[in-house]
Amino acid sequence: MDIQTFENVAELGKLTFSEEERGTLLADMNEIVLIMDTVKDVDITYDPILDNRNRYLDSLREDISAPSFETEKILSNAKASDGCFTVPKVVE
Amino acid sequence: MAGYIPVIGLEIHAELLTQSKVFCTCSASFGGTPNSRCCPVCSGFPGTLPVINQTAVEYAIKAGFALNCGINQFSVFDRKNYFYPDLPKAYQISQLNLPLCINGLVPVEYTENGEKKTHDIRINRIHLEEDAGKLTHNDLDGVSFADYNRCGIPLIEIVTEPDIGSAEEAKAFVEKVSLLLQYAGVCDCKMEQGSLRCDVNISIMKPTDTELGTRAEIKNLNSVKAIGRAIEFEIYRQSKLLDMGGRVVQETRRFDDNKGETKSMRSKENANDYRYFPEPDILQVNISDEQLSEIKAKMPEMPDKRLERYLADYAISETDALIIINNKIIADFYDEAVRTYNNPKAVCNFITGEMMRRINIGEIDINEITFTPEQLAKIVMMAETDVINKSNAKDVFRALVENPCDPEKIAADMGFVISNDSGKMIEVIEQVMSDNPKAVEQYKNGETKVFGFLMGQCSKALKGIATSKAIKDELEKRLSR
Amino acid sequence: MIFINETVASLRQKLDKKEISARELTQSYLDEISKTDVNLDSFVTVCTETALKQAESAQKKIDGGQALPLTGIPLAIKDNICTEGVLTTCASKMLDNFIPPYSATVIEKLSAQDAVFLGKTSMDEFAMGSTTQTAFRKKTKNPYDTEKVPGGSSGGSAAAVSAGLCAASLGSDTGGSIRQPSSFCGVTGLKPTYSRVSRYGLIAFASSLDQIGPIARSAEDCGIILNAISGFDPHDGTSSKKSPEDFTAKIGAGVKGLKIGIPKEFFSDAVDTEVKEAVLKAAETYKSMGAELVDCSLPSLKFAVAAYYLISSAEAASNLARFDGIKYGHRSEKGATFNELVKNSRSEGFGREVKRRIMLGNYALSSGYYDAYYGKAMALKQRFREEYKAIFEQCDFIITPTAPNTAFRMDDNITDPAKVYLADICTVTVNIASLPAITTTCGYDKTGMPIGMSLVGNMWNEAQIIGACDAFEKTFTKISPKGGR
Repeated sequence: MDIQTFENVAELGKLTFSEEERGTLLADMNEIVLIMDTVKDVDITYDPILDNRNRYLDSLREDISAPSFETEKILSNAKASDGCFTVPKVVE
Repeated sequence: MAGYIPVIGLEIHAELLTQSKVFCTCSASFGGTPNSRCCPVCSGFPGTLPVINQTAVEYAIKAGFALNCGINQFSVFDRKNYFYPDLPKAYQISQLNLPLCINGLVPVEYTENGEKKTHDIRINRIHLEEDAGKLTHNDLDGVSFADYNRCGIPLIEIVTEPDIGSAEEAKAFVEKVSLLLQYAGVCDCKMEQGSLRCDVNISIMKPTDTELGTRAEIKNLNSVKAIGRAIEFEIYRQSKLLDMGGRVVQETRRFDDNKGETKSMRSKENANDYRYFPEPDILQVNISDEQLSEIKAKMPEMPDKRLERYLADYAISETDALIIINNKIIADFYDEAVRTYNNPKAVCNFITGEMMRRINIGEIDINEITFTPEQLAKIVMMAETDVINKSNAKDVFRALVENPCDPEKIAADMGFVISNDSGKMIEVIEQVMSDNPKAVEQYKNGETKVFGFLMGQCSKALKGIATSKAIKDELEKRLSR
Repeated sequence: MIFINETVASLRQKLDKKEISARELTQSYLDEISKTDVNLDSFVTVCTETALKQAESAQKKIDGGQALPLTGIPLAIKDNICTEGVLTTCASKMLDNFIPPYSATVIEKLSAQDAVFLGKTSMDEFAMGSTTQTAFRKKTKNPYDTEKVPGGSSGGSAAAVSAGLCAASLGSDTGGSIRQPSSFCGVTGLKPTYSRVSRYGLIAFASSLDQIGPIARSAEDCGIILNAISGFDPHDGTSSKKSPEDFTAKIGAGVKGLKIGIPKEFFSDAVDTEVKEAVLKAAETYKSMGAELVDCSLPSLKFAVAAYYLISSAEAASNLARFDGIKYGHRSEKGATFNELVKNSRSEGFGREVKRRIMLGNYALSSGYYDAYYGKAMALKQRFREEYKAIFEQCDFIITPTAPNTAFRMDDNITDPAKVYLADICTVTVNIASLPAITTTCGYDKTGMPIGMSLVGNMWNEAQIIGACDAFEKTFTKISPKGGR
């Protein structure tokens, strides 16, 4: 894993690292990737139909609505205002 | 800047009319105070799991039937991963490789430059997914507020092939799809409420080009009109760009309804790697042949079938039939009214004339019609059976619109009910004739245009006593003696 | 009073015979926790008041003759299982203040039996690890030797049972997280068939592999608890609709005539000799009880660790993306924009191991790498299922070591992640193939640390492996730990 891939993957997971952390983690990752690479040579491909566990349409949940949670409860672990979750501005 | 061919594909998002959300039991209806229709599941709490709504799957399949799609009887859900504050799980449950519906076809008819055109638009796929929440921005304080009521409302995404060649065609297509979804009973297609939304993919190419041009994606289109304007602006923008030797950048653009322009969104939006993978919390959905034919049997009457029925059973003109059919609410209203008063032509005329006129001038809100089809049918019936005059029928209707109640009572209160007292009628006609000897004389000398004057005199005095037809017949009879 | 040798079954009798009241029993455990858990750090949260209240209401049921198998039985719950109104931290700074607005289905089911919840037990952060040393606050110690790790990730649940700080506990198992700590702490742990127990309310690590299961002092206790927590749940669309059964049905049935597979790949040089010997000796015990030993093979075992880490990390990267500081959990003080706040909250809230897994998972899923990594791992999942299918055509269940080694010292081994990952070789295929497995102690190494053996059954065959495990336990004399006392 090169540093550019590392940075890209960190961005995908919304993680930031200090210089020192980056050094250690990159070394770790490369060691781990070596283990992961063993699967690359296996000559098989995934088939979702084989993976199928046969749940038929009629066994899915019936469309009946039930009362929701109190707004207060939904917001109880969050920074909130006026019944909404507060989010710093979303840059566009 | 002439000579470019636009190549347009659409992505239409339609919210399904289920009772509950797609993965939890919260209500799926529109609106509500912020975060009042939420539970740990749709708010993305740790430990929660999505449990798929059978009816949402069924409605997506119905949409597929409505758009002439094939149905994947083995369908898989996938996670689309990205961070955004309106997406509480930081992934959207959607479908990538095995969507519920594939390979559809929607024929559209439209008029362009005065010319009638038809074109079959191919549908690439329809997949089922969950809607995201709503953000409101407070630019002053630099904060946003997240409301998750809309999170988890079932959504289908309809993706076309790039078969559309103009703004007019795109508009006609969206209107057609909207109509088909409404007839299928799966979406109310209210663009102003966001239950139908549209993204446009557009590129342009020269007739001699063998490859498609670079496309831009336009988001935030919330009316059919905006779709047309955005496409026209984009064709203009891209043509100008290419004419000046520039090139089109593949990007997402936002349509500004006020300025009528598209604007580039930040480039990060375009660099997303969604890391799709099969959703492990939802088992693959299997649909048996039997279940598929059950759903097919449950399909409501679609517009083409209804047209056939109107022409065959109701014997109304194709033009009138199409006016009615092209609005599902009107068409259902019409059918109900005909059920009360079996005179399809008269009911049709009244609806396409009087009722549509009042809808167009805004006196009637089509989404909240306050009177019933039975009440309208009664008015038409009274007019047709000479209980009231045809001209008075319009007045009764206006009163009904203003204050819905029994039309017979309205007609009676307004003094429109005709008593058909022929003795009185003859008395009045004779009086009018003796009061206007000159006019009678002129008529007898062949100046038949005075008939209208005499008729008017009689009608005025016979309001509520005799029908126009009876007055006319009697007057003619007496004048020609 | 210390109940280090009492099982759920024996406590049931004591409660029903009124030899002890539910309140006394709960109070005794609470006293033990306050006395000795300072040395073990197995509990993150102790629920003294509510536990005593639950004991009171359990006593009413007992007095009314309405006691169910777990009525009044004091249990501990792994801290990744949501408990309404009670802190559920996943042993992470990220959720250090998180109070769930709802309870997991397993909690509802245990409550319906009037079980008593003593508290929440420590674990590796977000269940990622095999030492319980990645916990944010309580880095649990092994009751047999407090210098050694209890295993993980359900280290707190295993240590608490081992030390007699609860009658039994719930853990969760994604790649061995119930079995390996049970083995290290000398207790019995059961990982049920995938989808047997509802995952609703279990804070997800890897959705396709996670299962909640019991950790207890006997196979029978595991069966009693599985009876209580299993079954279809309308909140979990993957939970099985199989009709309920009694998982203690084969207790006392013995193993006569059963075919027990010995898969050779599990007895390679990667496994300590002492461990191998103890497990093979247990197999011989089964043979002497009338079972037949059969050689068998799981040829793809060499790919197991890679496939497991790819699948689990990919799912984890996605499952843990929801921790953005907005809705719950750690919210950074810094961050003027959404993007900055999310990055800061996550970077501050997650520990190093969790970050490693998120990195690995996103790498495996990212464009250009998906087919080579995640796609291959998913295909291997199918291959493991096929290989196990072939094995279970030959035999009723297999016997393997639970871990290649016994509990190690806290300062050993932990720094090299690759080495730690490889140690999961004995347990991960069970999760990948959705199978049930039970571990129990089959010996002690020369330092006195417990050695665990696993019985792995075919899908839905919990009753059989519980029965077989019980048969062995009845022949084996356990050595109790000092328990940090």
